Amino acid sequence: MSEHHITPLRTYLIIAATLLFLSGVTVWVSYVDLGALNIVVAMLVATLKASLVAFFFMHLLWDDKKNLTMFLMSLMFFGIFVTITLLDTEFRGDLGLNPETKDPINKRAAFYDTLPLTDTHGHPVDEHSDDHHEDKDHH
Amino acid sequence: MTENTKQNYLNHPKGIMSWLLTLDHKRIGLMYLFSGILFFFLGGLIALVMRFELAAPGNDIISNDVYNNAYTLHGAIMIFLFIIPAIPGALGNILLPLMVGAKDVAFPRLNLASFYIYSFGALFAMYTIINGGVDTGWTFYTPYSTQSTSNVVPMTLGIFIIGFSSILTGLNFIATIHKMRIPGLTWYKLPLFVWALYGTSLVQITATPVLAITMVLLMLERFLGIGIFDPALGGDPVLYQHFFWFYSHPAVYIMILPAFGIISEIIPVHSRKKIWGYKFIAYSTLSIAFIGFLVWGHHMFTSGQSVFSQIVFSFITYFVGIPTGVKIFSWILTMYKGQVSFTPPMMYALSFLFLFTIGGLTGIFLGAVALDIHLHDTYFVVAHFHYVMQGGTIVAFLGGLHHWWPKSFGVMYNQTVANIAALGVFIGFNGTFFPQFLLGLRGMPRRYATYDEQFVELHSYSTFWSGILGISIFIAVMNLFWSFIKKNKVDPGSNPWGGMTLEWTHTSSPPHPHNFEEDPVLQHGPYDYDKVIVEKTYKK
Amino acid sequence: MSGHDPNSPRHLKHYFHDVNQQYETSKFAMWAFILTEVLTFAGLFVAYIVYRSWYPDMFIDAHKLLDVNKGLMNTIVLITSSLTMALAIWAIQKNNRKLSVLMLVATFLFAFVFLGIKYLEYSHKFEVGQLPGEFYSYMGPDAVHLNNPHIFFSIYFIMTGLHGLHVAIGMGLIAWLIYSTYKGNLTSEYYTPMEMIGIFWHLVDLIWIYLFPLFYLIG
Repeated sequence: MSEHHITPLRTYLIIAATLLFLSGVTVWVSYVDLGALNIVVAMLVATLKASLVAFFFMHLLWDDKKNLTMFLMSLMFFGIFVTITLLDTEFRGDLGLNPETKDPINKRAAFYDTLPLTDTHGHPVDEHSDDHHEDKDHH
Repeated sequence: MTENTKQNYLNHPKGIMSWLLTLDHKRIGLMYLFSGILFFFLGGLIALVMRFELAAPGNDIISNDVYNNAYTLHGAIMIFLFIIPAIPGALGNILLPLMVGAKDVAFPRLNLASFYIYSFGALFAMYTIINGGVDTGWTFYTPYSTQSTSNVVPMTLGIFIIGFSSILTGLNFIATIHKMRIPGLTWYKLPLFVWALYGTSLVQITATPVLAITMVLLMLERFLGIGIFDPALGGDPVLYQHFFWFYSHPAVYIMILPAFGIISEIIPVHSRKKIWGYKFIAYSTLSIAFIGFLVWGHHMFTSGQSVFSQIVFSFITYFVGIPTGVKIFSWILTMYKGQVSFTPPMMYALSFLFLFTIGGLTGIFLGAVALDIHLHDTYFVVAHFHYVMQGGTIVAFLGGLHHWWPKSFGVMYNQTVANIAALGVFIGFNGTFFPQFLLGLRGMPRRYATYDEQFVELHSYSTFWSGILGISIFIAVMNLFWSFIKKNKVDPGSNPWGGMTLEWTHTSSPPHPHNFEEDPVLQHGPYDYDKVIVEKTYKK
Repeated sequence: MSGHDPNSPRHLKHYFHDVNQQYETSKFAMWAFILTEVLTFAGLFVAYIVYRSWYPDMFIDAHKLLDVNKGLMNTIVLITSSLTMALAIWAIQKNNRKLSVLMLVATFLFAFVFLGIKYLEYSHKFEVGQLPGEFYSYMGPDAVHLNNPHIFFSIYFIMTGLHGLHVAIGMGLIAWLIYSTYKGNLTSEYYTPMEMIGIFWHLVDLIWIYLFPLFYLIG
């Protein structure tokens, strides 16, 4: 099947190097406090990386455009799913008639009340021993 | 007597293993057909038991618990084991490659695999019945489904598995439609049934994965208490409903789109007239498939979701009416001034037009938030979706069976009996479900085994006619199968309705094992009754 | 099958006209399958987004319990494995079977390393009780004030677990590829399975590209 496009070796190596570089960038950026922009930058970098993988490694750039359409369709339906679900979850209780429904989910689950405090290794802390810092009551 | 010597897919190759391991799309379609009808009867039987329980108030036949199991199983069996797989799996498998002139679907092995995956999933559903049923309703709403002690896990596992079968069938059909058409068969020359299957398959591959992950999350919620859907663990049960309906609303279109396709085939053929508005019907199929993804929240108007989203959902829901209306008017205009013959398939198509229109219009009532708050979870909803699912899909399915029966099996049923049964289905159906609209308007809630005295009259009407409906369907199906026993064979060259699509003009009845004895060449469009005269040929 | 050219290649199925139709059909179906994969994960991403917006502070604090170094290491491993997979296809296109097998073996090993690192991460989480749902028991000083961290760990385990499952399935498929390439069943004339499994493998990489910042690098 000689008519298939054969991507040059150089392209693969450059793309892989770029991907590795971008991975470094995204880790580095996450330590810089940009406030709400952090997530935006992280997602932009991830999307750039994902596009490189899709277009070059997965050969979408040279493929029949139907394949690209399929892939973009999956993203579109994902977008629909997220957007419309958020129309509910972000505006829950918006009429304000029933304040109970405003924050239905921010109640702490009951089983936390029965959990003993632990140290960073997950071992229960003996509250009377001295070698640990004092934990306040966890309620 | 050429038929004894003639090779066709039914008699060649021979042996039970040649059926169980067949890669022939027609045989796989047949296996889907038989298992589908089996589950249809099982689900129908459960429905009749419920109807007879409801003939009078109080628990006369079954207890409340058994009733809860009955409506859950009726819903789950009818939807997941019959309606969703039946038309694409049975009629779609038999007809799609024939209609596009291919020798088989794109991936025959995958096709067989999806039948066995379906059977495997069905085993779990059957296990559920034997093991005492499941009582959550087919929707498995949390938090009850995370607490119920009935067989939620086997049933959801079964649905999870059947989902894969649905995905693989959809995948196969899409690849077949895109890549396996014969040269010259462009998109606008495809039979509309193929367009319908295309829309259906797109919905299948896009929506079903979300069902799969929802079922997984539900099972994990039961095993691990992951807290995503459980309010006691900081989660949100309404989110479950979003997940569930993101699949299950588009699934409504998985069920109805193939029915639209069947009707688009039956009406022009039996009216001997070119279809009116081919492109409108084709594109309305795709737009219904798309809009179907935007409106799931109209199932949740009383769930406590935000009012903002209620308004958005309600607004978008009305848009479904546009492409649906386009279809209905196109079909009616196709019949206008045609030579309409009242053959059994046409009887079902006409029933479909009437019943589906009622189903669709009452859907617009329910899409209005204010009205839905009153009608939610009443018999109005029950009547509405039965008008769509049974009056629409199942009636169209029966019509399609009658239409393609001589093609698929090379035998002809008794048309008089078929017509009487079709009439019985129509009358029995309206008798059963029309009173339920009134019951719902008067406030009778769904999913109750008993009710107040005031509803007794309408309920007993409904029960009486449900018996007629059940008998009519039974007669209709038995009449079809009787044609096997009577060996009422048609000539392999027959085209009893004068169809113009490839499966009628280029292959024998029943078809050759490899579909076409020689590569078909397209001579005319699928509905060119204005240009070409195709004779009705029906010899014994 | 009558009318079928006896000279046509062995791998050409009788119901296709030519090799190219068969290749394009398989590839198109693979992309349709990728669509189903993306939407399977979409459900989980929706759960992630909804809960992150409901519990923004908990997500930020709970993610500090994850090990960024291991996450970054896995990112590097997976990207490299994607490269070797692509090179395996490149080699088979150039009819260099030996190099192709070598690259596939490398891909397999990288996948193994990925799962190994994942195992280390998981076993640490199991030890300290940072577990999904009701099995969550970690009440260390850095978590004691958190509101429902078990939801974060539920989503973390389900998403990375499903991703890990895909890595494991991918390893099985790659093992089969190694076998059939070594046997000479795949050549520059017919390498459709490798192309398709390649697409699958890159998808696994693609999903990790999003999982990594969403879990390990919440700012």
